[in-house]
Amino acid sequence: MLIEQLNYTTSPRYNFPPSIENLQLPQTFIELSLSSMKNIESKYLQPNQTSLTQPVIEHIEDATPIMGIYDSSTIETISLEPLIDERPVAAIDVSSIRIGETETGVLCAIRGAIVWKEKNRYKYHRLGPFPFHITEQNKKEIYNLFRNHHFEISEDARAPSIINMQTRIGNLLERWLQLEISCSAYSTIILWDGSLTAGMVDSPVNEMSRLLETARNRLSIVLAFSKNTNLRFSGHKLTDFAEKAEPPCLLQINGFPLPSGPVMPLGDIYVAKLTPGVCSFRLDIDKKVPRERGIEAVQCLLGSDLLIQSYPETLRLAHIFSTFTATEVIGIQRFIAQQYGLRIVARPNVRRLLFGPFGKGSEG
Amino acid sequence: MRLYKKEGNSIQILSFPNDNVEKGDYLLVEDSGVNRKLITQVIDVQFASVPGLLEELLRDSTTDERVCGENFDPLGVSSHINHIQDARMLLCKIRGTLVNEKLHVNSSWLPSRSKSGITRIPVNSLLKHLGGNQDLPINIGETKDASPLTITAHDLDGRLNIITGKKGTGKSHLSKLLVLGLVEYKATVVVLDLNGEYTGLGFSSSGGSNKYSKRVHVLTPGANFRVSLAQMELRVMLNILVHALNLPGTSTREFKRIWKSLRQQGSFTLQDLGDAIRDCKCNIHVRDALFSRYYSLVNSGFFTDDDSAISFEKIFEETRDVGGALVINLSDVSSVDRQIVLEYTLGNLVKLLSKWKIRSVFLFAEEAHLYLRETYWEDIVTRMRHFGLFTNFVTNQPDTIKENIYRQADSIFLFNFTNERDLETVSRAARVDSETVKSIAQELPPHHCLLIGRAVKDFPVMVKVRALDIKTMGQTRLFFTNKNN
Repeated sequence: MLIEQLNYTTSPRYNFPPSIENLQLPQTFIELSLSSMKNIESKYLQPNQTSLTQPVIEHIEDATPIMGIYDSSTIETISLEPLIDERPVAAIDVSSIRIGETETGVLCAIRGAIVWKEKNRYKYHRLGPFPFHITEQNKKEIYNLFRNHHFEISEDARAPSIINMQTRIGNLLERWLQLEISCSAYSTIILWDGSLTAGMVDSPVNEMSRLLETARNRLSIVLAFSKNTNLRFSGHKLTDFAEKAEPPCLLQINGFPLPSGPVMPLGDIYVAKLTPGVCSFRLDIDKKVPRERGIEAVQCLLGSDLLIQSYPETLRLAHIFSTFTATEVIGIQRFIAQQYGLRIVARPNVRRLLFGPFGKGSEG
Repeated sequence: MRLYKKEGNSIQILSFPNDNVEKGDYLLVEDSGVNRKLITQVIDVQFASVPGLLEELLRDSTTDERVCGENFDPLGVSSHINHIQDARMLLCKIRGTLVNEKLHVNSSWLPSRSKSGITRIPVNSLLKHLGGNQDLPINIGETKDASPLTITAHDLDGRLNIITGKKGTGKSHLSKLLVLGLVEYKATVVVLDLNGEYTGLGFSSSGGSNKYSKRVHVLTPGANFRVSLAQMELRVMLNILVHALNLPGTSTREFKRIWKSLRQQGSFTLQDLGDAIRDCKCNIHVRDALFSRYYSLVNSGFFTDDDSAISFEKIFEETRDVGGALVINLSDVSSVDRQIVLEYTLGNLVKLLSKWKIRSVFLFAEEAHLYLRETYWEDIVTRMRHFGLFTNFVTNQPDTIKENIYRQADSIFLFNFTNERDLETVSRAARVDSETVKSIAQELPPHHCLLIGRAVKDFPVMVKVRALDIKTMGQTRLFFTNKNN
């Protein structure tokens, strides 16, 4: 299924970076945001007190189910040399945050960011914030959007709970942006936040494969960085093995067991330790790209982008530009209250009322 | 605007840039539930402490040089976010409460945080609200909302006022404005003009005479201000000898004897006094001491035996009906001679006042610490006040005025000060809290002053002092002048 009407161009470098006007962000996404907000049947907005301090939800993190890698597997260290090739680097990240509750549902906001490096300068496009009012009534409508535009979900599948819809909408926007870059970039290192694991609700195999294929066809390569991973080897977290490795290097796990069931890794899994320091990350490189080309792409990244604590600056900026600060949450609450005539009513904190300083947990 | 916090007589109000509130503005906190209004004055404007602001600024700072981009915000949420970022916290002082439109000074009442409405109140309507005597207005200038601000001459009558601020901020200009304002209402004003700045009061900026020219009398000691010994009282002469010329006690006693003996013989001249000292049968040291003081008096040029001597009393008589300003030009007078002139002037003023020859005098003293002896300060402020001598001190060194004088000051016209110590000194004035003084005075632009005290009914008001069409005198002579001018 084609996601949107895309503009493929004959001159590959011509339309990258895409201007904001040319970004193929589906109008339906914006309309959905607007229509969900217009149908607020509530007189008040209970702000989510914790959202001011709570970290925002990041999307498409490493969703790989916990998998053990057995002792029969081996780890190979691949030393890297930066390649001074000045290849374009682009990164995508999306964040969502819960803004509050109404009588009938949950209010959240989604924002995406695309950052690319061009001639020693970073440029960005920030999309949003898009507020959404998710109710039992409209969650099906939102789910249909997934079904119609992006994800292969069987008609019988039930829409997730209101709470999970925030993540789903965020992931939808993230996939769209990833597609946008795959379609418009040429010979670019495309950085994703998360893994290349497919087969879950937000990452259908066919869609993910198509995204990667589109990038491959335009000589781009997708590198997905996971800040957290569930993968373990001999009981230890995968990234722990990079502690003693000499950077810049990749650790490759040979004999990685193929998971059974719908979950399918579409990338070769590495541990990347690209700079000295304590941090290392799980790195997925498109499986269909020859191994040497994949490694070469990482070396190009070393030569083209600034890396701090093994993490590419372009991706770090994409995260920074998409994430919500407490001020923005208050600003969005104000926007909603003013635009839709809601009164902001602070809900008493039950835990604090009951337990005082001993009230812990998300609202403690 | 929303009421946020109250501590003592300070309150904090949350506001946004479009509320357009600045330091010095008055706000009315009106509680719709009760018929009460709180009058507060903004003494500082700070950014509101909004959570997450640091992250926001850090993120924005990355977009300065090496990062640039575009925002696609079809719903226009960003404007609301910017609005929150620009939120301000107004630190205010409670000045009073209006209960049934009547002013009460207490601040114990606490308005509702959720129901209170907050509005700006123009200074003029606030002052009108407070009532008071409206006649004999003196237009000082305009308030921040561009409405004219007037005080009344009554606010200077019988009062002690201080005009202070750092150099070049417009103290003397305001002082001139007050002098002419008083002269307008036929008051008698004496100006102790240290730098000859007031000598042009009777001339317009173009150089021609103005409407005050006949009522401004510039007296230059040694020139058109000379006196004869015949007019002098022993008491005044002794003050000159003791306080200005430091004559020791024994010599003073001898001088008294000589003076009395001359007086018994009738009118005497300067020459007679010199002869009497020379013929005096006293200790040689005493005679030497008397001679040295005698020559100081002679050399000052202030005393004369000829017809050029003026009558102090007559000058005041001229001002009795039409009012007038007596500008004593001390600009080219040595410090000793200055003290001689001052002892004479003040001594005679008290004499005339105590004899009801004149009703009262407004004294404007520029940098008085340079010529007024220590004991005169309290004398002027306390005792002479009862004789009808009402003083206005003008200084750029506030620490030269004693703390007890600040405490007794009825009104203070405060210009800009950046020095913390100077502000600390002025903030000792009893009529205002130190926070107001420190916060507002530090940011006053030139020719703007903060009026504190009785003149503004104890509601501090910022005012831009109006221009005067008078000849500017006492300007600093510059080496690097613009040759085109």
